[in-house]
Amino acid sequence: MNISTRDAGGVAVVDVEGNLDTNTAPEAQQHLDALQDDGAQKILVNFTDLDYISSAGLRVLLATAKRMGAAGGSFRICGLNETVDEVFEISGFSMILNVFGNEAEALEGF
Amino acid sequence: MMKVIPEGSRFRSRWDLLILVLIFVSCFLVPFQVGFVHDVRLTGSLLVYLIDLFFLVDIVFNFRTTYRHQGVEVVDPERIRRHYRRRMFPFDLLAAVPFEILLLPWASVSAAGVSIVLLVRLLRLLRIGRLFVIFRRWEALGATNVGFLRIAKLVAVVVLFLHWTACAWFLMDFAGGFPAQSWVAHQDLQNAGAGTQYTRSLYWAIVTMTAVGYGDITPRNNLEYGFAMTVMLLGASLWAYIIGNIASLVSNIDSAKAAFWNRVETVNQYLRNRQVPAELSEQVRDYYDYVWARYRGTDAREVLGGLPDPVRLDVLAHLARDLTEHVPLFRECSPPLRNVLLLALQPKVFVPGSWVVHTGESGTEIYFVTSGHMEIVSIEDERVYGTLTGGDYFGDLSLLLGEKRTASVRAVTFCEVFTLGREDFNAIKSEYPEFRDVLKKISSERSAMSTELLLEGVIL
Repeated sequence: MNISTRDAGGVAVVDVEGNLDTNTAPEAQQHLDALQDDGAQKILVNFTDLDYISSAGLRVLLATAKRMGAAGGSFRICGLNETVDEVFEISGFSMILNVFGNEAEALEGF
Repeated sequence: MMKVIPEGSRFRSRWDLLILVLIFVSCFLVPFQVGFVHDVRLTGSLLVYLIDLFFLVDIVFNFRTTYRHQGVEVVDPERIRRHYRRRMFPFDLLAAVPFEILLLPWASVSAAGVSIVLLVRLLRLLRIGRLFVIFRRWEALGATNVGFLRIAKLVAVVVLFLHWTACAWFLMDFAGGFPAQSWVAHQDLQNAGAGTQYTRSLYWAIVTMTAVGYGDITPRNNLEYGFAMTVMLLGASLWAYIIGNIASLVSNIDSAKAAFWNRVETVNQYLRNRQVPAELSEQVRDYYDYVWARYRGTDAREVLGGLPDPVRLDVLAHLARDLTEHVPLFRECSPPLRNVLLLALQPKVFVPGSWVVHTGESGTEIYFVTSGHMEIVSIEDERVYGTLTGGDYFGDLSLLLGEKRTASVRAVTFCEVFTLGREDFNAIKSEYPEFRDVLKKISSERSAMSTELLLEGVIL
């Protein structure tokens, strides 16, 4: 997994590439935690290049969303592939996570 | 053009029931008049003519009642008329029209001591043919338990046979002028009341037919011996046939019940032989008790398996009408999607304390809880993560992510669920994109719990 952050008009856009699973989830969590610790108030995770997400990856997202929500920040996700999108919808996470089709949509009105 | 009467209509069934009663009354009354009254009496005749009116109306109805040909109901009035005219009509006509009225001026003329009017009146006995037509119609329509109907038909045949035998047994001696060597003379019944004469005759008929043969009333002349032998042969055969049939019918009258409890007994026996712990055996018995109380032991899918899909669907939709109104999954579906789900979902029942899914299993099904109360439990420390009740579903994460379950689900009360297998789930999802929206909609109600569970590492 490759994880990197770039700035897009005050929004920290996190690009995740490859697999987000049990092995890589701790690294992703650390990355996102570090961003929050540095005071990021708007985080967008871009999954356009994500191949696979496991339950461990989902946990990272939920934990981050929860923490951001509690701190008054804003957390969004975009670029989910069909399978991941399905997991989000069917398992009820799309109600908690702000999911957008692509980066442009997600950044609009952030 | 006159309207046709569907053979399965409520009106036809009720009319048939009335006709059935009247067939019995006439098949009792007319032989009794011939055998024990002998001459034409006003009250008895009026009753017979009154009944005739109903049978004449019945003929009119029969000309309009639909019938089945090779499983298809014939509703064409012309075909119905032709069918009835060629089959039962001649018999019904002979049995219904009081031709004897023409002979009333000569009512005192008798043959063998019986008025000729009464002898012609015996044509009413042809009505017994209609009795079989009615029973056959009810059997074909599945109006009631076929076993009960067959027993009723057999009982009717026996009762009428006994009655006719009793009438003939007495009439034989009456026609011969009560010879000294006759059973009537021997019993000194020549001048007894008709009631006594009938009771003794019927008694003899029953004793002879059932092969009890007390010997207090016995034949006294050759004619009587001949008659008695005929009754013995016919009666004993009929009796044996009927008792055999009744025994078989009674044992099969509720075959579903018998088959179900036989299966339960086999399972119980097996559990005992394999020394399965009492607590586990108790759970098995609880399961069968519940299934019996709730569904009368019948697995609708098994019973309806042979039906074509559209018919099976109609039956299943009717059976599941409660669920389709109250279970969120069905409530949110369009009718076509609901139909597909009804065909694909498998109903399951879990007894209190039993495990629904286990930790470590790979998810191959989604569980939709329709009733009952379940717990999501950690098998390591028995910690309860949450509860599931009617309307909830689980199993989706494991199935979608291809991961093993990290918790178990245990039934707290009797629970009913529908399961949807992976293949059906994928097929329905791709054919009906709406299915995802339905799941999204119903999942919104449990999103907070799903999140908490996943954060705790629970995957079901």
